[in-house]
Amino acid sequence: MSSVSATAKLAGACAGCLRRSWLLSSLSGPLEYCARDRARLLELLALPDRKLLEAVAGRRAAELRARYERFRADELPHDPQLQSICRHCRGYPRALDGPAAPPMLHVAGGAARLAKLTAAPVVTILGSRAASDYGVQMARSLARGLTASGVTVAASLTDGIAVAAHAGALDAGAGSVAVMGAGLGVSCSPRRRSLYERVTREGCAVSELPHDCAGRRWGLLASERILAALPSVAVVVEADTSPGEVAAARNAQALGCTVAAVPGRVTSPLSRGTNALLMAGASLVRGPHDVLDLLYAAGEPQPREQVSAPVGATPQNDLRPGLRVILERVGAGCDTPDELARAGVELSAALLALSELELTGLLVRGDGGRYLPRNPL
Amino acid sequence: MLARAHAFTIDGLQTRHVSVEVDVRAGLPAFAIVGLADTAVREARERIQAAILNSGYEFPARRITANLAPGDVRKAGAGLDLALACAVLAASGQLPCDELERVALFGELGLDGTVRPAHGALAVAHAARRAGMRALALAPACAREAMLIDGLEVPVVEHLHSAARVLSGGCGDALLESPAGAARKRIALDEPVGSVAGGDLSEVHGQHHAVKAIVIAAAGAHNALLSGAPGTGKTMLAQRITSILPPLSRAEAVEVTRIHSLTGVRIDALAMSRPFRAPHHSITPAGLVGGATRGSIGEIVLAHNGVLFLDELSEFSRPTLEALRQPLEDGRIAIARARHSAVYPARFALIAATNPCPCGFAGEGDRCSCSEAEMARYRRRLSGPMLDRIDLLADLHLEARERRATALMTSAEACDQVARARELQAVRLASEGVTVNSRMDGRMLGRYVKLDERSERMLRSARAAGLLSARGEHRVLRVARTIADLDASRRVRACDLGAALALRPDANVAGNRAA
Repeated sequence: MSSVSATAKLAGACAGCLRRSWLLSSLSGPLEYCARDRARLLELLALPDRKLLEAVAGRRAAELRARYERFRADELPHDPQLQSICRHCRGYPRALDGPAAPPMLHVAGGAARLAKLTAAPVVTILGSRAASDYGVQMARSLARGLTASGVTVAASLTDGIAVAAHAGALDAGAGSVAVMGAGLGVSCSPRRRSLYERVTREGCAVSELPHDCAGRRWGLLASERILAALPSVAVVVEADTSPGEVAAARNAQALGCTVAAVPGRVTSPLSRGTNALLMAGASLVRGPHDVLDLLYAAGEPQPREQVSAPVGATPQNDLRPGLRVILERVGAGCDTPDELARAGVELSAALLALSELELTGLLVRGDGGRYLPRNPL
Repeated sequence: MLARAHAFTIDGLQTRHVSVEVDVRAGLPAFAIVGLADTAVREARERIQAAILNSGYEFPARRITANLAPGDVRKAGAGLDLALACAVLAASGQLPCDELERVALFGELGLDGTVRPAHGALAVAHAARRAGMRALALAPACAREAMLIDGLEVPVVEHLHSAARVLSGGCGDALLESPAGAARKRIALDEPVGSVAGGDLSEVHGQHHAVKAIVIAAAGAHNALLSGAPGTGKTMLAQRITSILPPLSRAEAVEVTRIHSLTGVRIDALAMSRPFRAPHHSITPAGLVGGATRGSIGEIVLAHNGVLFLDELSEFSRPTLEALRQPLEDGRIAIARARHSAVYPARFALIAATNPCPCGFAGEGDRCSCSEAEMARYRRRLSGPMLDRIDLLADLHLEARERRATALMTSAEACDQVARARELQAVRLASEGVTVNSRMDGRMLGRYVKLDERSERMLRSARAAGLLSARGEHRVLRVARTIADLDASRRVRACDLGAALALRPDANVAGNRAA
């Protein structure tokens, strides 16, 4: 443990934990090779430093061991925007204390904010990257409702469900936790840049890898450990049966967190995974209130006071009866003007009602111009 | 001895007056043509010599110099043959000179002295009248085209002999009306120029929303995008727009016929219906807007005063679509190349059709297998500025055959509605120099689009909800005005604005997914 003084500048994480972060990025290549077997990768990541080195470094073992012994904290590239925090610090999320979770995190958005966010109950939102409009809307409204009730939402920042979850939390005007699979300096595709910036402004993004470590598949799998360890409830919104999509949920289950799932249509391949989870005994989620029930039943502390009123909710009771009929019809599947016209609504009246509902935020237009209820409850 | 004849050459859409001066003097026998002539004109020497000799005249065995003035305009095509031959005859004293000053000549010569038709007779006749010519002599095949211009005599000349007779004060040949010619005339009257065969709106079953959108697009000359899965009837619907557009006005018809006469289409009468152009998506930018070769006219110019239909919009190359931006905005296309520059009129309504995603089935239950990234890439093929010029978007959905509704209306009914709506627009906008709602700018919108109380409220809440950009608001107001015109309503009511909002084109093409 060479220079303890150097750690002070990095806002908390001790040299030993920073060295772990460095080691992981140095072993990125061999670990990528191991990522073909998910279970083995998780076993490897649970090993202590030296054993990990022995296990995967191969021919580079001697060289890496020498560099490992000489490591000084200031060798690690440092970005002033980021803070690092380890399990020896006070603000480190208690949920990450187990051996399956990483010992340290790099944080964008501030360690203090992360501590505050993880002090509240945390719910992870999981799901497919190729989500349907239904999945996207469900994820968004779940995240919005939960955030508004003082729960912290955590999710990765990949396409589909995860992105919708962050957008929903931002809708409610509070931060979420984005768990990244690569260093925070490189982990964002240009398409997600603006969302990443909004998330780090309101909430935070975390990664166990140094900020310049490029994104690879194993990093994404490793980040699922954090997503599995952080929450008390993990909700799978939409997933098919491919191993990648339900693995994170199984992982969370193994760590003792409650797994819940949003039901989907039985004919849709995109909902097979979630429906299978429900079949296997996962709790059923119809909306934020079901998740809140699960949290309380699990004996969690009362959530913080309401952050804000649920957003985008013109109370549906205030609607004119005509509009409410249309809204219900759209929810029941008459989601195009022509479908409504077939159901007996005059075409121009249908267009007017659809536009009015869109203006009040109760409907949005999705794929192929079909209308979707914004709060599917 | 010197003689001068008058002819015309076509440069893009402009017709240029060319005075053909021929000087015959003593010297070694030679025939030189000067004055920026292209290959076809320079080859005229051989044709003219043979035609004169074969018609029984004498070709002067002296030094002949022909000058085509003005010298800085490039002369193209074989239409100058007749004028050159007559000027040679006049300069060698075989014809009187005075009629040459008043009768323009236009046609290509055969080696036996027969006169062949050349492209663009209508445009030439138009120019001849403006240049103060008394008459324009040309081949029988294109005479009918030239006769569409009032105030110009059109003596028909079948042979160099007939031209000589006309120039000596005689009359032209009789124009025989062949049965084939009569049939052709009727076709030209009935059929839209360059059309894909139309069809009636009553053949479109179901898809009422999209049919209504097409009627709105026809009524206000709005640019429309039809989006839907394969087999929903986008192309079928778009092709039927020709059957509901109002006929051309006289001035528009002359414009359209002039343009089409330049492409070499045989024309016997003024075009009565609006052009409908549907180029394949492999078209190049030059093919679409017009190219570097002189007189190569782009599809958008041929669609002037009519409809340009781009099927499979996302398959067009990016530069091709971007080339549409200026014409969509200005209603004209300015092409500048190394050797020439030209401005063509190109005021057309764009109707486009596209699939919502690469596999084509987004929004059709679980059939779509595209990832979000693929969808985003697909949407990016249509640039924002391009979509910004599209006024309305109609989504078509697959309908089960047994649940399909009947047709919304027949073409005749729709055509009637459209004609009445256009009339209202023309009266309202008479003092502004535009005739259709889609051409209203922001100032005119403020002046002519009056919202009632409820629609005013709706517009305010749309602004507040962030659904409308400034430009988007203008588009919605234009479309709403047209919808109200179709109902002959003086004010824009909530239902008009609601329909216009439901047809506004940003939501799903631009992508409204979570982030």
